[in-house]
Amino acid sequence: MLRLLTCLGAVCVLAAGAGFGLAASGSPSERAAVSQPIPARMLGPDVPVPISPAILRVRNGWLVSDGRTLVAVYAGAAGNDSSVGRLVIVRQDLVAGTQTVRTVDAGPTGALAIAAAPLGTTVETSAQAGSILVKPAVGRALRLDLGTGRVGSR
Amino acid sequence: MRIAALAAALLGGLALFPAAVSASPSPVVAWYAYGSSPAELASYAYARGCDFARNQTGAGSRLMLLDFGAARKLSSSTWGTIDFSNTTVSNADILTALKGAADGYHNCHLRGSADLLYGNSNYHLSGSGMSTTDAWYAGYHQSERAEDLSAYQAAKGYGTETADAASDLEPSWDGPLITKQLVNGDQAQGWALYYDFGSADGCPQSGSSDGACNNGWHVSDVGYVSFHGLALPLPEIYYAANANQWTVVRKWWNGNPGGYDFAGVTTATGAGLTPAAAWNTLSSLNSGLVDPELVCFGC
Repeated sequence: MLRLLTCLGAVCVLAAGAGFGLAASGSPSERAAVSQPIPARMLGPDVPVPISPAILRVRNGWLVSDGRTLVAVYAGAAGNDSSVGRLVIVRQDLVAGTQTVRTVDAGPTGALAIAAAPLGTTVETSAQAGSILVKPAVGRALRLDLGTGRVGSR
Repeated sequence: MRIAALAAALLGGLALFPAAVSASPSPVVAWYAYGSSPAELASYAYARGCDFARNQTGAGSRLMLLDFGAARKLSSSTWGTIDFSNTTVSNADILTALKGAADGYHNCHLRGSADLLYGNSNYHLSGSGMSTTDAWYAGYHQSERAEDLSAYQAAKGYGTETADAASDLEPSWDGPLITKQLVNGDQAQGWALYYDFGSADGCPQSGSSDGACNNGWHVSDVGYVSFHGLALPLPEIYYAANANQWTVVRKWWNGNPGGYDFAGVTTATGAGLTPAAAWNTLSSLNSGLVDPELVCFGC
């Protein structure tokens, strides 16, 4: 009951604010949207994955951020068809305040895994438009071009 | 308690959103937390709160979801998460970040209102060494932090904000017994609505029986973690198959405890259905039972 009263009270306040179109008092004061860089690194199985298994059965991942933009790549197989190799690219623009999630299918390769990618502190910006080598369960390695978002033969 | 929570959610959604009940709502952005340090998360969350406020359309109440990663027991008496960059974040740090999001939303507010959600997941709870008791406390303290955030919002006079909890509960990530303890802990603490923005991975796509899903789960388990106590389903819908699976969950629940409906839909760009199509697909299979909320990772 306490929760009900609290929620109803909050809703009443919210409804009043919405109904009268009130804006917050005071001027907006944005803090810097830039964060500390994250050196390029591989993501192992202990690191949580944000992508649902319904989309991707993850094998491994890779992450880099220069503090203004961030790119994470997750490799594996399509959640609804394990024969399809799939990559999911998460991009965050911390300045513009945007986040995109892009799915790239490699065809009937089986599960993909990231085999080689830029690592370290010297590539925090350049690697975001570079390339990553991915290996299917069988067959030749493929290259993901982060600049174009396309996957093709190396 | 259940009736109270549902009444609040319905009032928050429907009363402020009358025109959107029968059409797909506009998507609102949800964020994955990648922090280089716990301290970084506060400024990160502030910026996301401000972004959310500036991009919010309409006068309704919307869900602002920050996904801090997997629930974790960090020490003998400390709970929190490990985020998507492998940074461990205590609940104290998460509360600081959520307060930052509340400040950002308030300072950039233009219209409408928001329910700020402390999001986590059931990713590899057992594999990290957590017991079912640990998971119960993770849910309990998650709800507690949502209540703390609500107290902060009230103290600051942020009248266009509320606070609750959410979890990406995926059958493939851990078993049903330990995952249910997150929901049970939240329910025992008693404050936060617990939005399940996970999947019904591997569940049957037709019928209404308690069929098998992935990883030892059954339809009834998905129903439990999404509708027991203060839990509310905000299901991930990426393909039509996902809408079919969740419809089976709803039908099973309504053939047993009853009263199941959806708090909205979670979606993403770039895979299968568009966000609008995802909401419409679930709604078409569950007419009048899907609230006008569309949380989107990547919109």
